[in-house]
Amino acid sequence: MTATLLERRIRWAGLLIAVGLLLQMLTLPLTHPLAFVGFIVLGCPLVAAGMLLFLYSLVSHDTP
Amino acid sequence: MAACRALLKRLPVMNTTPLILISFTAIAAVLGLLTALRPELTRARGGKIFAFMALCVLPALAMWAGVNEHLERSTSTQFCLSCHVMADFGKSLYVDDKSYIPAVHFQNHFVPTDRACFTCHTDYTLFGDYKAKWRGVHHVLVQYLGKIPKPEEIKLYTAYNNRECLHCHAGMRKYEEASSHHKNPEMLAKAATNQLSCISTGCHDTVHDVANLKDATFWTPKVNGK
Repeated sequence: MTATLLERRIRWAGLLIAVGLLLQMLTLPLTHPLAFVGFIVLGCPLVAAGMLLFLYSLVSHDTP
Repeated sequence: MAACRALLKRLPVMNTTPLILISFTAIAAVLGLLTALRPELTRARGGKIFAFMALCVLPALAMWAGVNEHLERSTSTQFCLSCHVMADFGKSLYVDDKSYIPAVHFQNHFVPTDRACFTCHTDYTLFGDYKAKWRGVHHVLVQYLGKIPKPEEIKLYTAYNNRECLHCHAGMRKYEEASSHHKNPEMLAKAATNQLSCISTGCHDTVHDVANLKDATFWTPKVNGK
C-alpha cells in the first residue's frame, strides 16, 4: 500500500467524522425524539464508520 | 463580594452541560476536518499522534457523552410530550380527580414531575431502559412514516406489570396497611407476584382515560403561591 492510499483513507475518515460530529452537534440543543433518532441513526454511524476506517487504514498499512 | 453573590443569585440558573458538550463536539469536528484537509500531517510522528487523537479518541469521547446526554433527556416529560399525539396524555396529568392514578402521582410529586412518563413507563428490569428507548424509536417511525393513531386508540404493548408500581410502593406503610389491601389475606402476595393486577382488577383502573378528558375538570398549579 502506498502512502497516498493511506492519506486518502485518512482524508475520508476525517470527513466522515467531521460530518457525523456536525450532525450530532446540531441535535444536541434540541430535546425532541427526532433529534434523538438523528443522533443515533445518522450521527453515530458516520462517526463510527470514520473511526473504523481510520483504524483499518493503520492496520492495513505496510511499513516500507 | 456580597454584591457579587446577590447578583449571582438573581441570574437564572443555566444548565451548562449541553453548552460544554456542544463546544467539545465542535472542537472534535474541527480537528477531524483539519486532519481530512491535511492528511500529510500524519507523515511526522507528532502528526500521527494528532491524527489518533482527532480521529479516534476525541470522536469516541464526544459520541459517548452525546449518547449519555440524549438518553438522559429522553427520560424527560417534555421529551415524551413533544409529539402531538401525546398532548392529551400530558393533559390527563392535570385532571382534578383523585381516581386518576397518573394525575394523583404527578400533582402530589409521588413521581418526579420532570420525569413523570418515564418513571411509570419504564420496565424496572436489567434492560428496561433500553427496551423503553427501542419502543420510543418505533414510536418516532410511526409518528413520521406511519399512520398516527388517535390518542384513545393508544394502548400498552403488554398489560401493565405491578413490578412498576411496587418499585416505589413495596414496603410503603400506606400501601402495606391500607384496609382495602387486606380484603383478602393473599392480596398483597398476589399483587407482588403480578397474579393480581393493581390496575386491571378494577381497584385502580382509571389511568389516563384520554377518551373522557372533555368532561373532566383540571387543576391549575399555582406559580410562586399565586
